[in-house]
Amino acid sequence: MKVAVIKNNLKEGIAAVERAAGENANLPILKNVLLETEDNKLKLTATNLEIAASFYVSGKIIENGKTTVPLDVFSGLITNISSERIDLESKKNVLEIKTDNYQATIHGISSEEFPLIPKISNLNEYIEIESAALKEALSQTIIASQFSELRPELNSIFVDFSLDNLKLVTTDSFRLAEKTLTGGQFQSNRQEPFNLLLPLRSGQEVLRILGDDGKVRLCHDGNQILFKTGQAEFFSRLMEGTFPDYRAVVPQKFSAEANISRQELLNALKLAGIFSARTNEVKMNVLENKKAVGISSSDQTLGENISTIPAKFRGDAKEMSFNWRYLSDGLKALKTDEVFLGLNEDNKPALLKSPNDASYFYLLMPILKT
Amino acid sequence: MEKNLDTLWHSILSEMETQLSRANFATWLKNSRLADEKEGTLFVVLPNNFAKEWVENKYQKNLLGAARNFDDSVKKLEFLVSGQKLDLAPRKVSATDFNKFENKINLEFQTDPETNLNPRYTLNSFVVGSSNELAFSAASAIVQNVGSKYNPFFVYGGVGLGKTHLIQAIGNEIKAHYRGKIKSKYVSSEKFTSDVVWAIRNRRMEDIKKKYRDVDVLIIDDIQFIGGKEKTEEEFFHTFNTLYENNKQIIISSDRPPQSIPTLEERLRSRFEGGLIADIVYPEYEMRTAIIKGKLQESNRELGDAAIDLIARKVKKNVRELEGILNKILFHQEMRGAPVTEKVVEEIIEKAAQNFTRRVNDSQIIKSVAEFYNVSVGDLEGHVRKKEIVEPRQIAMYLLRDMLDMSYPYIGEKLGKDHTTAIHAVKKIDQEIERNSLLNQKIISIKELIFRA
Repeated sequence: MKVAVIKNNLKEGIAAVERAAGENANLPILKNVLLETEDNKLKLTATNLEIAASFYVSGKIIENGKTTVPLDVFSGLITNISSERIDLESKKNVLEIKTDNYQATIHGISSEEFPLIPKISNLNEYIEIESAALKEALSQTIIASQFSELRPELNSIFVDFSLDNLKLVTTDSFRLAEKTLTGGQFQSNRQEPFNLLLPLRSGQEVLRILGDDGKVRLCHDGNQILFKTGQAEFFSRLMEGTFPDYRAVVPQKFSAEANISRQELLNALKLAGIFSARTNEVKMNVLENKKAVGISSSDQTLGENISTIPAKFRGDAKEMSFNWRYLSDGLKALKTDEVFLGLNEDNKPALLKSPNDASYFYLLMPILKT
Repeated sequence: MEKNLDTLWHSILSEMETQLSRANFATWLKNSRLADEKEGTLFVVLPNNFAKEWVENKYQKNLLGAARNFDDSVKKLEFLVSGQKLDLAPRKVSATDFNKFENKINLEFQTDPETNLNPRYTLNSFVVGSSNELAFSAASAIVQNVGSKYNPFFVYGGVGLGKTHLIQAIGNEIKAHYRGKIKSKYVSSEKFTSDVVWAIRNRRMEDIKKKYRDVDVLIIDDIQFIGGKEKTEEEFFHTFNTLYENNKQIIISSDRPPQSIPTLEERLRSRFEGGLIADIVYPEYEMRTAIIKGKLQESNRELGDAAIDLIARKVKKNVRELEGILNKILFHQEMRGAPVTEKVVEEIIEKAAQNFTRRVNDSQIIKSVAEFYNVSVGDLEGHVRKKEIVEPRQIAMYLLRDMLDMSYPYIGEKLGKDHTTAIHAVKKIDQEIERNSLLNQKIISIKELIFRA
């Protein structure tokens, strides 16, 4: 193999595949990155046998071939090389790196030993989404999930495709986020609705790989999924299990509703957070004849505080307590200046969304007073 | 039929093992199995897509050759990924799963605001064995005769043995039995303390008095924590007297008997000792088995008898740890989609045990002993020969040896004595424990302090 590439292009490729590489005592080659020429490009691939990421780096291909080298060494070299143009040449299992003022050889392992990346059987059936839209959807939903050993099916993003819309849903059973992408944001030639569980970690990786431009194509069969953009491919196994039927817990009516300034509420929560050290608990009260909301917290040893924010309340609400971090997470996922907050009696979840935007909502369980 | 498939696959693998490097064999073929055989086609199940891709492309010929050596009717191999089920019925969905979800999302917050009781705890779900028989029958008797039979009822025992379950269950049963006519209140001693503090600061003592003296059954959890907090102890003392005089039921739990809570005031201690004191000790083997089976049934899961037996034999600490290990094993089972072997169970238990000891170090042990006996760490480590220091120091030596397996000279040096003293102390405590259950109880409490630190 002999190729010439621009340093920054190669760096971008390394960054995209870096986190897919793995540790395995039985299979040391998983620490390596596979370099191969394909379609007149240099293709980088790394895998840990759970996920696999590939990235196509454009460059001048002088001679076809492939090899593998330890990813951390390769990455370290490329990051610190100062020249723009880098020549790579492999002879047997040794990779030679050359610039106008630098030269290195790295010992690798034969590419024959590198795991084969599984193939998806029906590449012709796909959903094609605007990269930016998927990126936003992932970042808005991932926040409501956290790793739990006890409920593996919750360590995942529920992807629910019903022909004319595509939903992404996550929950950790304290909060729940749902994002709906509609017709304009994706095209599909799939004939049947489907749903699947994308592992949380894979979702985070996809988020890293996606750019702001272009489109991403999503194909899946049985228990594996492939995300394909112009330059990158990301493969992951799917999670088994059944996502809970969450629709039943989404409240349709509220006993109290309010529109509040997002930024002011966020600031108030940050302030209240200072006094709620251990439990993260802040209290929310309706004040001034329903024209304001009070965010307060207190700590026996530290002291107490209250912020008053103008709000338009409709309906009745008692004092409620929330985990301020969870509440802030939800607010940060919204983009509008004003947010809609729907509250119900003690034991029911609260709902957060942008007014007049049904494509996203964030549910949050209140903390019950003891 | 199934037996034959297993033996056939085993023979094929043994042959493959000789052809491949150990690493390759372990990575790609180790967790494979033969699912079915139909008209000369063998269906091979592999753990993941990568293994399938690799084996299909690289080892297919060798495998087929090996298979033909044992069974020449084999014509073809088909590869599947585990989880990609052959033609098993699709997993049951919706109704039950949805309920599980709802439970979970509510469970955390399900306590009854009136009584603070969590309805999850009932006497029916309490597994009874000789280790908690007394406490359980007393609890049942209290439900029938509130306030008159055993008052106060003091239950003590180690962490995770079911104290909270039992005392909350009493409250719940009383509520169900008398249809809410008898008012119960459950409160942790921490909550009680913070209420008192709040009341003092805001000069609202009357509110607190009313809140706690206006109930028919007062249940206080982990009373040992109010020891040393004078104003709280005083308030609790008066509350206690008021309720007691009016024949109201009082139920208290603690991690040790009243006489072992060093900072508790004498007048409170003597009152606790006036009712019934029942202890809950570590469950014996049969009971641990019953608990595991109960948990499995509750979560609708299954586990082999051998595995259950192994868990019950190995995990002796407490019920919560038992549940934790069981959960890990079930999770493992679900992820792998295959029944867990005894070896896996053993590994999981061992790993959990390691985590436990790795967190503990010598200064933690000494600190906890000092804390328990209310003496200073300096006294323990110094040369003082006062009588009240002797027992704590001997116990510290014993624990250093027992938990960390430290050398006698080191123990001696650490605690200001020479190694012969350390040997003597460890031997003495070791013998004493067998005879003296109070000492044993103390040591268990100290160990819990250490793990909590």
